[in-house]
Amino acid sequence: MISFLRIHNIVARTAEKINWISAAAVAFIMFLTTADVIMRFFGSPFPGTYEIVGLVGALVISFSLPYTSIKKGHIAVEFLVQRLPQTPMRVINMVNAFIAMFLFGVISWQTALYAGSLMESGVVSPTLEMPLYPFVYGIAIGCALLCVVLFMEFLGALLGRETE
Amino acid sequence: MTPTTIGIIGTATLFILLFMRMPVGFLMAIIGFVGFGYIVSFDASLHLVAKDMFAVFGSYSLTVIPLFVLMGQLAFHSGISSRLFDTAYKLIGHLPGGLAMATIGACAGFAAICGSTNATAATMAAATLPEMKRYNYKPELATGVVAAGGSLGILIPPSVIFIVYGILTEQSIGDLFLAGILPGIILSILFILSIIIWVKLRPELGPRGPKTSFKEKVASVSGVSETLVIFILVMGGLFGGIFTPTEAGAVGAFATLIVALLRRNLSWKGFSDALFETTRISCMIMVIVAGATIFGHFLAISRIPYDIAEWIASFNLPPAIIMCMILGVYFIGGCFIDALALIMLTIPIFYPVVIQFGYDPVWFGVIIVLVTQIGVITPPVGVNVYVVSGVARDVPLNLIFKGVLPMLAAMIIATGILICFPQIALFLPGLL
Repeated sequence: MISFLRIHNIVARTAEKINWISAAAVAFIMFLTTADVIMRFFGSPFPGTYEIVGLVGALVISFSLPYTSIKKGHIAVEFLVQRLPQTPMRVINMVNAFIAMFLFGVISWQTALYAGSLMESGVVSPTLEMPLYPFVYGIAIGCALLCVVLFMEFLGALLGRETE
Repeated sequence: MTPTTIGIIGTATLFILLFMRMPVGFLMAIIGFVGFGYIVSFDASLHLVAKDMFAVFGSYSLTVIPLFVLMGQLAFHSGISSRLFDTAYKLIGHLPGGLAMATIGACAGFAAICGSTNATAATMAAATLPEMKRYNYKPELATGVVAAGGSLGILIPPSVIFIVYGILTEQSIGDLFLAGILPGIILSILFILSIIIWVKLRPELGPRGPKTSFKEKVASVSGVSETLVIFILVMGGLFGGIFTPTEAGAVGAFATLIVALLRRNLSWKGFSDALFETTRISCMIMVIVAGATIFGHFLAISRIPYDIAEWIASFNLPPAIIMCMILGVYFIGGCFIDALALIMLTIPIFYPVVIQFGYDPVWFGVIIVLVTQIGVITPPVGVNVYVVSGVARDVPLNLIFKGVLPMLAAMIIATGILICFPQIALFLPGLL
């Protein structure tokens, strides 16, 4: 039981650390886009800003997936389940975590395959000719970490441990 | 099984699991994935999820969401809310119920830089409730007004729901923003009228505030200056075609950051909190967008939306009745499901119907936002009421719900007006 909590804490701390990448990426997008707008005003915009912003935007979302899930940040309809007794609520939590874990496992696996195929075929962005595959791997990593978080949630419900 | 049958089973399963506390975005993705796999092939479905995830997460046009969320979060930490309230309160605070009216005015002003209903309610609750308490305003009036005033946050641009609606239905975000302005102003006026009537009936609810001199009133107007500058910069650039929506969001966030720094209101902790909150909210929204995209592909291939549109048409009902039924769904659904999630769940189903019956897509966007905002302040899941009660911990929940009632009347009247006169929403977008 103690080890469950310890592992959960490690997962939570990792998720929070990874979220810093996401936070930095948001700030970067804001500064880059504003700088581009200002420079455009003076007639020399940065080429490829849209590409970078779109791709870095993918990192913003991917790397905030695990922490958002830990913070129970995803919208769900709570009011019915909240009124249930403890045991059925736990079963529902378990089933939900398991289904979500399956879903993001599939997504992580498939995006990793997709990234691999992009790497092999050497697909790059149109203006700056940046390779796309690292960003797709980023999504795969974010989803994989989310899977770990969901697994802890599943375990927590199974062992009857509230994790939040 | 025909694709339509699978579509119906999939949609029904979605709504059953929805009430089992499965997160909405996850749910749409999984039903879409399984349904698409069942109709086409699981090989195709596996490719679909990977491509859809990258298409949504890596889309330039969708980065508008984190940026406008960030702008609202920075505004929350910037101290702008108290300055807006200060202005409004010096102008009309001496009237009976004046502080409550000033709260609505400040909410409308804050809404011009914040695109979220909860953030507006939370920010304004923190800024206005202590003041109203100080001048002996009864808690039901004070909290009810702030909870309802939050809905202006989503109606007056920028607005996160309009952005998401615009992306899902391929409507111009600029048009939607413009369309929200007049209904937002009308709703503010109706809120203020409700306060006037309510305080006339029960003067003890909102006593007169302190008198301010004419000079103080004039001086206080400077409190709206930064909000006005940011609003004009962001919306002017967007409507004038100088900025893309993403650029408007970035420039708005940056300008709000500068104001917060100049006013020395933003600490490093405040800034990192704003960034973290932004990633959380953006992640939550984008997961729903990704889920809605996968679910939308499944629905399209099941032909459900077209079948439903045909089925409804076969009744030969007048379009007005059909619209009322659709709005009824949003009204009831909004009481149980988060407004953003509800809109994204139902758009793939209702949007084709609405278009087939000749309704304007921009007007429809405004009206469903208004109707779902009613749900934000009604039980059992009145999110804004919970947000306000988080700030006003000494006020019981049922008292806040009681305080919201007169405001609810204003929202229902506003909906009626907008249904009868769609041109209120469409007038401004028509000018450009």
